[in-house]
Amino acid sequence: MKNKRKSIFISITQFVLLAAILVPAVTLLLWIFTERWTWPDLAPQVFSKRAIFEIAGRKKELLQILWSSILISTVVAVLSAVIGIMTARAILLYRFPGKQVVYFFTILPFMVPATVFAMGIQITFIKMGLNNRITGVIIAHLICSLPYAVRLIMDGTAAVGSRLEEQARVLGASPFKAFYKTSLPMLMPVILSAVSMSYIVSFSQYFLTLMIGGGNVKTFTILMVPYLQSGNRNIACIYSTLFLGVTLLVFGVFEWAAGRFMKHGGGEFYTSE
Amino acid sequence: MKKRISAALLAVTIAFSMTACGNNERPKEENKTASVTEEMSFETMKEEAKGTTVTFYGWGGDEKLNEWLDNTFAPAMKETYDITMERVPMDIDQVLSQLSGEIQAGEKNGSIDMIWINGENFRSAKENNMLYGPFVDKLPNFQDYVDAKSKDVTLDFAYPIEGFEAPYGKAQIVMIADTAVTPDMPKNAEDFKEFVRKYPGKVTYPALPDFTGSAFVRNIIYEICGYEQFLDMKGDKETVKAAVEPAMAYLRELNPYLWNEGKTFPDSSTTLDNMFSDGEVVLNMTYDAYGTAVKIADGAYTQTTQSFQFEKGTIGNTNFMAIAANSGNKAGAMVAINEMLSPEIQADRYDTLKVIPVLDNSKLSKEQKASFDGVDLGKGTIPQDELLSKRLPEMPAELVPMIEEIWTEEVAGK
Amino acid sequence: MKDKLMPYVLLAPQILLTLLFMIGLVTGITQSLGVIPAFGLKKPTLLYYKEVLSRPDMMRSVLYSLRIALFSSVLATAGGVFFCGVCVMGKKTQGAVMRIIQLPIIVPHVVTALFIINIFSRNGILARAAYALGMIQEQQQFPMLIYDPHGIGIIMAYLWKEIPFIIYFVIALMANINGSLGEAATNLGAKTWTVFWRVTLPLCRNTIISGFLIIFVFALGAYELPLLLGATVPKALPVLAYQEYIHPDLRNRPYAMALNGIIIAISLISSLLYFLMMRKSVKCLTEEQ
Repeated sequence: MKNKRKSIFISITQFVLLAAILVPAVTLLLWIFTERWTWPDLAPQVFSKRAIFEIAGRKKELLQILWSSILISTVVAVLSAVIGIMTARAILLYRFPGKQVVYFFTILPFMVPATVFAMGIQITFIKMGLNNRITGVIIAHLICSLPYAVRLIMDGTAAVGSRLEEQARVLGASPFKAFYKTSLPMLMPVILSAVSMSYIVSFSQYFLTLMIGGGNVKTFTILMVPYLQSGNRNIACIYSTLFLGVTLLVFGVFEWAAGRFMKHGGGEFYTSE
Repeated sequence: MKKRISAALLAVTIAFSMTACGNNERPKEENKTASVTEEMSFETMKEEAKGTTVTFYGWGGDEKLNEWLDNTFAPAMKETYDITMERVPMDIDQVLSQLSGEIQAGEKNGSIDMIWINGENFRSAKENNMLYGPFVDKLPNFQDYVDAKSKDVTLDFAYPIEGFEAPYGKAQIVMIADTAVTPDMPKNAEDFKEFVRKYPGKVTYPALPDFTGSAFVRNIIYEICGYEQFLDMKGDKETVKAAVEPAMAYLRELNPYLWNEGKTFPDSSTTLDNMFSDGEVVLNMTYDAYGTAVKIADGAYTQTTQSFQFEKGTIGNTNFMAIAANSGNKAGAMVAINEMLSPEIQADRYDTLKVIPVLDNSKLSKEQKASFDGVDLGKGTIPQDELLSKRLPEMPAELVPMIEEIWTEEVAGK
Repeated sequence: MKDKLMPYVLLAPQILLTLLFMIGLVTGITQSLGVIPAFGLKKPTLLYYKEVLSRPDMMRSVLYSLRIALFSSVLATAGGVFFCGVCVMGKKTQGAVMRIIQLPIIVPHVVTALFIINIFSRNGILARAAYALGMIQEQQQFPMLIYDPHGIGIIMAYLWKEIPFIIYFVIALMANINGSLGEAATNLGAKTWTVFWRVTLPLCRNTIISGFLIIFVFALGAYELPLLLGATVPKALPVLAYQEYIHPDLRNRPYAMALNGIIIAISLISSLLYFLMMRKSVKCLTEEQ
């Protein structure tokens, strides 16, 4: 009896949240085809395919920009995860002086708005020759996404612990192999989170990419944001839909890759079913 | 073993992505340093610019303009001059920020060539030596077709251009209403007050410092305080405040009848435009004098929508193309700007985008004139000669931010 | 020997990136003190800070920003944790539902603003539904939920984005703890709710506070949502900074940086508090080894 009540409660909560998320998504799709929708009608009066034509007309350019944006953000995501693992292990599994300070610095970028960092770093990057180049943009994105990766992977590393790995070492495995065979598969779910989070932080950057990339490095977001601000709602919505669709696709690929990598269904630690 | 493979894979991916992204990253070697452009004739410039790329930095939120630039202008440039145009969507403040950063870092082969600019931004850029010039005297089309003496071409917001920018298009602020909903369109400030009282809660204007909202307020200032006094007014906030006080008082009087009782204003002209399309307000305003026809054709506005002006006139300005001081391809930029001034391109722009052309009608041949006259401006617009006859000049650019501040302090929410 | 070097080797990339970040931060601060060689400003001065702090609407803007950030972050954290708790106790933490709930994380903030306007504005779906149901007769009767001086629309937008973020951030750990330690407590006779409240929640405390701080500081410093959904007055701090930044007179840049400096100061104080709270746990974890 009580279980049933609990389960209804859970379902209602989930439903409310789901509605809150899906209803806006539906309005987004609806607006792609809307040209005129005046008060107080509950459905648009004038439809049009103008937004579709805009996209169709730019197919080639869009595909190119999407591809390079995805590549940039994927590189940022993977680098974030790798460096995140390294930093997390250093902080949690080793002793060295100044650990607290290091930890503070890893999360410092959380505390500073991206716009401030962008404005401050622009001149430095120009002097270092990193501006207007993809490398510069990747490094800048990395600085912003790394804290998320470090945070998430630290949680995971703490949960997984190092006992299994130590045992493997005791049994004769080399340090890398021990890590690779024991800890890594168990960390996979949290690494996947870190990769996804870093990806989206990089993919959605606008101001930073503009400042460092200088218009030379064009990402999809740079193309999309002026339309979002332009008030042309159907065009804005179709670009947004593209953005979301592409991101979901990429996440799907990440998950598939992670799944292949996990040897022994190492998601145990994170499910409770 | 496997770890090494994955590490290698990672490295390869990164390397591959760098090069694959290469086509989205302009190789710097392509930009030729045209360092002796001062001595070059236009013919030589065309030669120099062959096979190069010219970047055009400007606002990217107008998809029709973008489409025209990419699919009409760029192919024309490629075919006629073998110049590849690259359009970069970026707000002007970002452009100037980047330009100043590059110049400070000593970058000689800058990434910015052509800039879409005007007003206060132009003045700021020119005073900080960020622009190349004077250059318009070197452009044949400028000499042949533009009225070099017109105030529209020599002054940008009452600031002398001195050949540092070439006209791109003309804009003039107009107001838009749906005659089926509001058959009476106000002809002056008094009428406007009546209009607002008649439709309480359904009229507003974009919050300053939005470009259009700012222009509307300046227009009201012209209506109530007269415009001549501002053309050479000193750039001192106290002087300006005293001069515009009657207009501020007027605007405060409007507040209680405005949308949301004047406590808050739409953040931008695009928000206002959407509110108008949706029927939440009955008045819209825009710098794009002929955009109404386009929107009616698209279906965003009703067939009965009409644009109108005040009897005393509305503010008009020109927007321009300039060249970055450290551009690596000044010759190419000049060829591109020259092409933008050709009658064929201006007529095509007028026809497709309905942007007011910048050429001097009296300098055009009969056939060229015909191509302009033949353009159907579409529904809901004001005929061009009428529009231009009621055109008021912009005041000095430095006064504009002051007026915006004064408005925020004196009118918003009062 | 190797062990001694190892942490430094592992930390090398992080330290490099941190260095770059610090350079950016310090440059920003020097710019706020008026030192921008590019524009010919060479002398450090507190003038910009003084001017910015003495603006008449400054206090209102600071309070506006703080209020929005606090409300949205506290409510989001509470809501997120509540939802996590519900799912974890009901043992449903995977599946399609969870994925959809985490969707808002990938939606850019400007698109979220679009959603809020579409639904909650006087022209939006809710208003039209209210009209259709006869609850209001005129458009103006619908309450002003966006563009208002209380920032309701902005808070709603942040809630929409941040509740899923908190869920995402916390749920893995919470499920793990509830599963292992929680299981043990239940076996010893404790009720599900008690287990959650007294075992799981305290152990997740640090992660929850981390999440709270991240979204709090973000809400404090981001300009997009207050710009698109906020009132004309008061303006949120990052909006003021942004408007100074895009001012055509480039010499206004130090004002923008001074405003940013104020935002950073508030954020740093919050992060220092966080750091003090976290100190214990980082130590504990490593002492165990």
